[in-house]
Amino acid sequence: MKKNKTESLAAEKGLFVISLTLNGRPAEFRVKPGDFLLDALRAHGWKGTKKGCDTGDCGSCAVMFNGKPRLACMIPAVTAHGAVVGTIEGVGTVDKPHPVQEAFVEAGAVQCGFCIPGMVITSKHLLENVPDPSEAQIKKALDGNLCRCTGYVKQIEAVKIASKKLRTKRAAK
Amino acid sequence: MRPELLVRPASLADLWKALPALPRDRRYLAGGTDLMIAAGHGHAGDCWVDISGLKELKSFRETSSSIFIGSGLTIAELAEKPAVKKWLPALALCAPHYASPSLRNMATIGGNAANGSPCADGVCALLSEKAEIVLGLKGAKRKMPLHSFFLAPKRTALKKDELILGFEVPKWRHVSAYEKLGPRSYFGISKVTVCVSAEISGGLVKEAVIACASVAPVPLLARKAAEFLYGRRLDEGTVSEAAALAESEASPITDTRSEAGYRKAMVRVLASRALSKLAA
Repeated sequence: MKKNKTESLAAEKGLFVISLTLNGRPAEFRVKPGDFLLDALRAHGWKGTKKGCDTGDCGSCAVMFNGKPRLACMIPAVTAHGAVVGTIEGVGTVDKPHPVQEAFVEAGAVQCGFCIPGMVITSKHLLENVPDPSEAQIKKALDGNLCRCTGYVKQIEAVKIASKKLRTKRAAK
Repeated sequence: MRPELLVRPASLADLWKALPALPRDRRYLAGGTDLMIAAGHGHAGDCWVDISGLKELKSFRETSSSIFIGSGLTIAELAEKPAVKKWLPALALCAPHYASPSLRNMATIGGNAANGSPCADGVCALLSEKAEIVLGLKGAKRKMPLHSFFLAPKRTALKKDELILGFEVPKWRHVSAYEKLGPRSYFGISKVTVCVSAEISGGLVKEAVIACASVAPVPLLARKAAEFLYGRRLDEGTVSEAAALAESEASPITDTRSEAGYRKAMVRVLASRALSKLAA
């Protein structure tokens, strides 16, 4: 993106073409003017990011957006032009899960699983900034991620386990 | 659905240059958390002017007598600033009650005011800290007390294309208490909020500002209650009298979030709680 002038992006035949960095790779999306990033991601095959409430209340659509967890259901897709976006697909895979994902499985924090991508994104960001969080800090960080299955106890435990795992991993380096 | 055009100026100067050529029905886009709700209802303009990247709006300056907060700072960015913790205790206290962590990474303090809602959390805190709002349109700047910026629900003093540049908050030695009543402890929209900032010296109130949210057509300053406290000691009697005055100044309505009668009664309860915290 050029820094020295006003950049404008016009819809052509009702579609914007946006370029972004998605999970470390360049991506190009065609989006309608009223699309949200959440819908754009899912329409382009990135279905790990879940659509829960679609009103910014449940946190299941949390993605990393320019370095911070934000809610993809409230981000106009066009504004992701030039942005750096990270989704759950960039965190880990079934064969190679991230320590936070392993911890969620070990703690039994996953029941229906719908809220988990958002929980993992938020927890991972917390642990990157506060490697050894207190229970209060964990609760505060996960404050915007609603879960209708578990009652939150297991997820808080999962973040504690993940914190230990990451500490061990750091020590091994 | 709208818009048809997104423009992203690289600086304020570029913004003013770009405006004349843009479609008339244009909106500024900062954090997007209110604009996106408007878009869902179909009133979001033909053109969005994305101001989220403007460095000028992210400035945070401290002088010997005041603090300037750029309108583009997010609630999360503000909450992390040591100067906010030191000089703007009401804003610092408000932050954890402001929506959710992810939304605090998006929502800006300028947008909180521009939306013109009487329930705005950040506005309520800044009102109690005696903030002024700084507006800019092309080369012209103007400043007004924050309370006079709000004209009616969702109506502000902003002229066409005028932009909130930031807030200037005087440095004064005050303590604050922030009492928000929502549907749950965190992450809810306010039914009633009372935020009190006061300078207390030798046990006596030298100055007090009582701001209330969601209980009037605009963010409200409970002036009678605050004036009553001048020169008095905060004890059970003065706290309850000031809280009763604050209740008398509120004129809430019944809407989807709460009922008028309950809200009015809660102004007294929350004002009393806030003042008691300051007395302790």
